[in-house]
Amino acid sequence: MDELQELTQDFLVEAFEMIEQLDQDLVELESTPDDLDLLNGIFRVAHTIKGSSSFLNFDILTRLTHHMEDVLNQARRGDLSLNAEIMDVVLESIDMMKDLLVCIRDSGNDTEAGIDIEPVVTKLDAISKDGTVENAKAPAEGSSEEKKDEPAMPVEPIEEDDEPDYANMSDDQVEEEIERLLKIRQEEDKARREAKIAAGEDVPMPPPSPDEGQQEEPKKEEPKPEPAKSEAPKTPPPKPAAKPAAKPKAKKDEGVTTVEQTIRVDVNRLDHLMNLIGELVLGKNRLLKIYDDVEERYEGEQFLEELNQVVSSVSMVTTDLQTAVMKTRMLAIGKVFNKFPRMIRDLARELGRKIELVISGEETELDKSIVEVIGDPLVHIIRNSCDHGIEPIADRVAAGKPETGTVNLKAYNEGNSIVIEIADDGKGLDPEMLKSKSLEKGIITEREADQMSDKEAFALIFKPGFSTAAQVTNVSGRGVGMDVVKTNIEKLNGIIEIDSELGKGTTIKLKIPLTLAIIQALMVGAQEEYYAIPLASVLETVRISQDDIYTVESKSVMRLREEVLSLVRLGDIFGVENVMDSGEFTYVVVIGLAEYKLGLIVDTLVGQEEIVIKSLGDYLQGIEGIAGATIRGDGRVTLIVDVAALMQLAKNTKSAVESLNESTTKEKESPSDYKVLMVDDSKMDRKIMKKSMEPLGVTIVEAGDGQEALGIVKNGEHQFDACLIDIEMPKMDGYTLASEIRKYSRFKHMPLIAVTSRTSKSDRMRGVEVGMSEYITKPYSPDYLMNVVKRSINYKFSVEG
Amino acid sequence: MSEKLQEVLKSQQKQKDTPEESKDAGVVQLVCFMVGDEEFGVPILSIQEIIKPIECTRVPSTPSYVLGVFNLRGSVIPLIDLRQKFKLPKQKTSDDTRFIVIRNENQVSGFVIDRLTEAIRINEDRIDPAPENMNENDNHIYGVGKREDRIISILKIDSLLKRTF
Repeated sequence: MDELQELTQDFLVEAFEMIEQLDQDLVELESTPDDLDLLNGIFRVAHTIKGSSSFLNFDILTRLTHHMEDVLNQARRGDLSLNAEIMDVVLESIDMMKDLLVCIRDSGNDTEAGIDIEPVVTKLDAISKDGTVENAKAPAEGSSEEKKDEPAMPVEPIEEDDEPDYANMSDDQVEEEIERLLKIRQEEDKARREAKIAAGEDVPMPPPSPDEGQQEEPKKEEPKPEPAKSEAPKTPPPKPAAKPAAKPKAKKDEGVTTVEQTIRVDVNRLDHLMNLIGELVLGKNRLLKIYDDVEERYEGEQFLEELNQVVSSVSMVTTDLQTAVMKTRMLAIGKVFNKFPRMIRDLARELGRKIELVISGEETELDKSIVEVIGDPLVHIIRNSCDHGIEPIADRVAAGKPETGTVNLKAYNEGNSIVIEIADDGKGLDPEMLKSKSLEKGIITEREADQMSDKEAFALIFKPGFSTAAQVTNVSGRGVGMDVVKTNIEKLNGIIEIDSELGKGTTIKLKIPLTLAIIQALMVGAQEEYYAIPLASVLETVRISQDDIYTVESKSVMRLREEVLSLVRLGDIFGVENVMDSGEFTYVVVIGLAEYKLGLIVDTLVGQEEIVIKSLGDYLQGIEGIAGATIRGDGRVTLIVDVAALMQLAKNTKSAVESLNESTTKEKESPSDYKVLMVDDSKMDRKIMKKSMEPLGVTIVEAGDGQEALGIVKNGEHQFDACLIDIEMPKMDGYTLASEIRKYSRFKHMPLIAVTSRTSKSDRMRGVEVGMSEYITKPYSPDYLMNVVKRSINYKFSVEG
Repeated sequence: MSEKLQEVLKSQQKQKDTPEESKDAGVVQLVCFMVGDEEFGVPILSIQEIIKPIECTRVPSTPSYVLGVFNLRGSVIPLIDLRQKFKLPKQKTSDDTRFIVIRNENQVSGFVIDRLTEAIRINEDRIDPAPENMNENDNHIYGVGKREDRIISILKIDSLLKRTF
């Protein structure tokens, strides 16, 4: 019952949409009667409605549309020219079709209103037989009907309905026409009353009498007599013989099919909306970042609390908005699942096996764009499960399994992704067999086969050209299908997991991100550059010591629990300039895509962030390994890693030889070839320092704070021989500056001389920790400073004076 | 009434159109700038905006003249160094350095230039076609505009925005 009701609903939504279009088409057809496209369109509507209504057992509607279809088909083929008379009949039938649909919507069936289609059907028949209207005297009045567009509202007063050509009707027809109108009217009254009841108004139950329409009449503003004015031979409407129109209300309420209120929206508009939301998310991220900065600077201030409230409410609304828009793009995965029962049935017959498909979680929702892509892979996986998984009946019985094999198709949400699970209770995958088959086909080498774990062996089924089937059947065996699965899932940044037990069955899990436009990403740093890795592809992150990295056949690997994981440096793949010294420990981001895993060595882990994918534009489209870009909270652009391409790139990336480009120390020819950077926020102090070093005649560059100094050091314009650093400075203090400078391998040996009034032991200790090479306490004698500098820079000239 | 109105409107339109047309016929407006020692010009209508240098993010596996991408109010736009594109030596950004954001249909890119000079109007008959002997494959010059005291190489927008790697 429920299913039928759902179908009826779908049918009605569709039918009303088509009719809306139809009204426009008919108006156009009136002016261009030879337009074949229009005719075809109208024919299709009749045809579709006929098909659906016969399926749903709406016999009257079927009969009507069937006859319409006949006439329209002839017109379409050119056997019949649509003159005005014929148009009239066609229009009349279309109006009647609408009435029937309204009736179905309100009451759940097409008999309720008692609409009599016979006269129209007879006319239609006559046209399709002899190509003329039965009543030859019919004048061409079609256009008058045309102007009245026919609204399909159920509570519309009757006079708004169509007005067939009363003048040309025989008495009988008029009689029938009146009866029809009356019934429609009664139907409307009923609908109106129901609406009132629904609205909680107290409406007296009308007696279930056929003349109920009349009793109700006085209540309306524009009662029925309207059509009577326009035509002469009108008999009063009471028709006791009419079928009882008003049935007990109780029954009706059950049968009422409520049409879902929907609006069809162009996907482009939704995409645009999604883009705007993306901008908003970026703005939100930025706001959060700024709030953090402000919080740090103005800790404990009153306004912070207020700002906090605003920021969190904006961020909450943004998140809600994003979810809401995402939801509008969501479709239930049932749309895809629904075609599988039939497919399984056919497959089972073809293969001569007994297979049952159990579907669950079909209400799980997914982004529309994903639903479109997911269909094909599922078809292939399910076909595979039936063909290779489920055994023939005899085998099953022999193995002590029930005759009927089961394929479980399940969808469920897991965090920010959706999991689709296809499980069969068939014979399972045999890793040894898979390996030997792959060897046979030359997909893997013997060596690879030996090292392969069971899971890796299962993954072989996704290799292009792989097939275990001894012969190519109708169903599978070409070795293409599973490759399609892999490509499509990779496109969605999805992950495939296979689990199988020999003799028990196989489970394939597809893990797919919910949406594509806004994603969660892990921000990582490679040297000085940052990249975003889609979180859906990140399996875990581990911190390892350099000693944990082994080299096997010139490739780096590590042991991760029971598995051996190949490693590659993110910086090597993207050719990041190697400027920083990697410490003793490093981070490995384990990424997984489809069935592959790879460890990416990165220098820093920044954290998880919600990012909006932006295209790099035409000019930089298709850069290998880059899926797009995003804008971070600080306004900078960060590139998003294309995990699938990265895995390909990783295969060809050899660990770059540590080429520490030793800064070519130029021979110093004069004292001014020596360069010393002097960092102090006090101008006075800088002056004193400068004065102290004057006798050396070295070139001196000044900086007012740590940040400025770091900038000067980094941009490489000057090659400094030493750096004099004050500890207490605004923006960036001397300790931080020193440790930042020491991160770069090329500055590893640059003398850093602290010049400070901090004299405690702990200060000195800290200085050593961050990499200061000398420590001068203020106040100092000029000679002392000069000598320290001289020693540090290996000054080889004699000091003047 | 409406006819009269129409007439009036029409004549107004005519007045508006004619002088403009005669004045603008054959005149090209260019924005001129220096890259290295040479002065270049691009049609003013193809310029979306001119901004001061901002930070950009390197994009891997691109030629060195592609400096990366930058964020222009939420759009990610590629940045191309014209000095390197024209095989001139690199130079540090100075106070005069600008990014010129050029748009051609849906293609947008930013270009680094050394210094803006001026915006000029130049008659089309003062523009000579690009010299024949220039390399066909790498020709970004549309023509050479002659001024009293100097010449300006006018750049071909579509070839500038075309990806050649």
